Amino acid sequence: MTDARVTRLADLIVDYSLELSPGQVFRIDAHEVGAPLVLALYRAAIRAGAYPYTSVGLEGTLELLLEHGSDEQIEHIAPQQWDEIEEIDAIATIWSESNTRALTRVDPTRHTAYLAAQRRLHNRRWERISAEEMRWCGTLFPTSAHAQDAGMSLSAYEDFVFSACHADTVKPVEHWRLVASSLQARAATLGSVKELRIVGPDTDLTVSVEGRKWIAADGSYNMPDGEVFTSPVEDATEGEIRYTFPAIYHGREVEDIRLRFEQGRVVAAEAARGGDYLRTLLDMDDGARILGEVAFGLNYEIDRFTRNILFDEKIGGTMHLALGSAFAQAGGSNTSGLHWDMICDLRADGEVYADGDLVWRAGHFLHEAVPESEPIEAGKRG
Amino acid sequence: MADPIHERFAEVLVDYSTSVGKGDLVLIESTPLAAPLIRAVYRRVVQAGGHPEVRLGLDGVAEALLSAGNDAQLEWTSPRLRGDSEQADVRIAIEADTNTRGLTGIDPARQARFARARTSLRDRTMERAARGELRRVVTAFPTHASAQDAEMSLAEYEDFVYRAGFLNEDDPVSAWGALGETLTRLADWLGTKRELRVVTEGTDLTVGVEGRTWIPCDGKENFPDGEVFTGPVETSVEGHVRFSFPAPHAGRLVRDIELRFEGGEVVEATAAEGEAFLREMLAMDEGSRRLGEFAFGMNEAVQEFTGHTLFDEKLGGTVHMALGKAYPESGGKNESALHWDLVCDLRRESEVHADGELVYRNGAFLPGLF
Repeated sequence: MTDARVTRLADLIVDYSLELSPGQVFRIDAHEVGAPLVLALYRAAIRAGAYPYTSVGLEGTLELLLEHGSDEQIEHIAPQQWDEIEEIDAIATIWSESNTRALTRVDPTRHTAYLAAQRRLHNRRWERISAEEMRWCGTLFPTSAHAQDAGMSLSAYEDFVFSACHADTVKPVEHWRLVASSLQARAATLGSVKELRIVGPDTDLTVSVEGRKWIAADGSYNMPDGEVFTSPVEDATEGEIRYTFPAIYHGREVEDIRLRFEQGRVVAAEAARGGDYLRTLLDMDDGARILGEVAFGLNYEIDRFTRNILFDEKIGGTMHLALGSAFAQAGGSNTSGLHWDMICDLRADGEVYADGDLVWRAGHFLHEAVPESEPIEAGKRG
Repeated sequence: MADPIHERFAEVLVDYSTSVGKGDLVLIESTPLAAPLIRAVYRRVVQAGGHPEVRLGLDGVAEALLSAGNDAQLEWTSPRLRGDSEQADVRIAIEADTNTRGLTGIDPARQARFARARTSLRDRTMERAARGELRRVVTAFPTHASAQDAEMSLAEYEDFVYRAGFLNEDDPVSAWGALGETLTRLADWLGTKRELRVVTEGTDLTVGVEGRTWIPCDGKENFPDGEVFTGPVETSVEGHVRFSFPAPHAGRLVRDIELRFEGGEVVEATAAEGEAFLREMLAMDEGSRRLGEFAFGMNEAVQEFTGHTLFDEKLGGTVHMALGKAYPESGGKNESALHWDLVCDLRRESEVHADGELVYRNGAFLPGLF
């Protein structure tokens, strides 16, 4: 029996996030454990008149490739993938795993080589997304592995996931239209800010956002969603930050990261656990020591850390700052093979100053950003 | 630790059946139920220097399309499917069904529309295979659904599957080589014949095979294997045939099919169950009323009917014939969106005559012929 919330999540992604229309080519990417949501998305896309197809991979194969493959095999991309990416109008990616730590012991340099090769394909995808030639949305189907990471039972975790997406309500699309409108207003307000100063435990960091565009993440690219983000000025970050939540990159956890920035670059990096891995990633390339993103998490249905960035970066009352590649649509120019979101919990005693004025305290903006008018129409988001 | 039987199965599929080598693009097509075998095959392909790509189908997706899709959606083929049919050097298809009857409730006319739209892709695959540009093998991983069809426990069915592939033997590859030699001699001998007549209960059928090529199947296109087949002369088939084994096709089952042929064409068709589906398949196109394949099942390790064509058609002591598309390498010319193998048990009170001479009785060729 299908959980009605899975069907509603699929409908939400097809109707709201991707706005699939008749005749559009739609690929659903997942591993086998995401099968119930794959099927629900497929059905929703058929109902919408689109042309859906599935791309379902098997868990446990990537580690075999990384363990046994030559460099050439690890970096290989099947030629038809390049043709596919040109023909697709929309992709839904379901991030669901049976074991979130399966890659913990693989050689990181081989994994990095794999990711670098895949990035060529990703870059082309993002070019087409930026040019509004295609749409993309990433989501998650709850599994025991993700529940385990969150320290929850599967059924409690399912409640958490579907509630974060508002798939447990009857009309999630209407809810997300309201969220979109409020996030747009917040992004507009932040657009006039030149400099943010973030103050919290062991944290006093100044980030320049002058001339950059704030983007409302309203459920178009991720489901759940609920953040506003931009890419900071590359050479202006100064000060120190402590990330109280563990930072996870490709299944590896680094605890209690402390970074010191000078002229935009990380000049000192420490961690209570995983410091070597942290420094390996910082040395990945030239852009890996520079911030590519600064963002406010504003989804207050997400009230706890669950060791999954899709949710954690949206925890209402947090900020996240990502090392590595920046968003061109936000005006950022940093490039890197890395994009590592690290989350800073500001809910207890954090403060944020915008051009010297206190605008945020203890996890909330002090002033409501008022939407310009009524909720924005579909198709004008993002 | 991987199960040694899966490792051995994978070795045979990758090293023997498809001879994967450096740089080969290898598609592994299956469902999540075959995960242990898929991983073993994947590793073996990587070790052989190939580039494996896993393509998993999910139970329910085909039903969702066939039940709710409009005509354009039914007929659409994805860029993935089109790309794969051109680019793959090797395809390893591992059947592993969750439910072998999942499409029983679908309108057969919609299934026929779906199949017709995919004919050109399937033909392209067959053409590339016939030219040697593509090596492909179809095999099966034991699942509860298949065990249920076979009326066995999963453990019993697993034993059946592995025995049928000689995977219980120390050296499965040489066992296949030995059977391959016998089948090659049989194929050469059959190549000298003009006409076969099959006689058993409910069956008296004459099939012209003059000028056609008989192909010995030794585990390189199907696994398990063990048959010789050809494409009969399209206009030659005369008489009637009763298929004593139930015939599964496209997610449903048809029982007790009886066909009468005139001038190569089916002119009468009945079935005890699923007759409407049978009629829809026969009406699919011009070629779906003619035979595209005639074959002898020669695998003596397959001795029981299990309701799974891959095995049933290899059953030592049977013949099978397929309605629809002929394999180009056999010299058969019949074109159709359909290719439906129907199996006829000859193990009791049966005879086959070749050019008027008795050559086969009660499930075996007479000794000393080839």
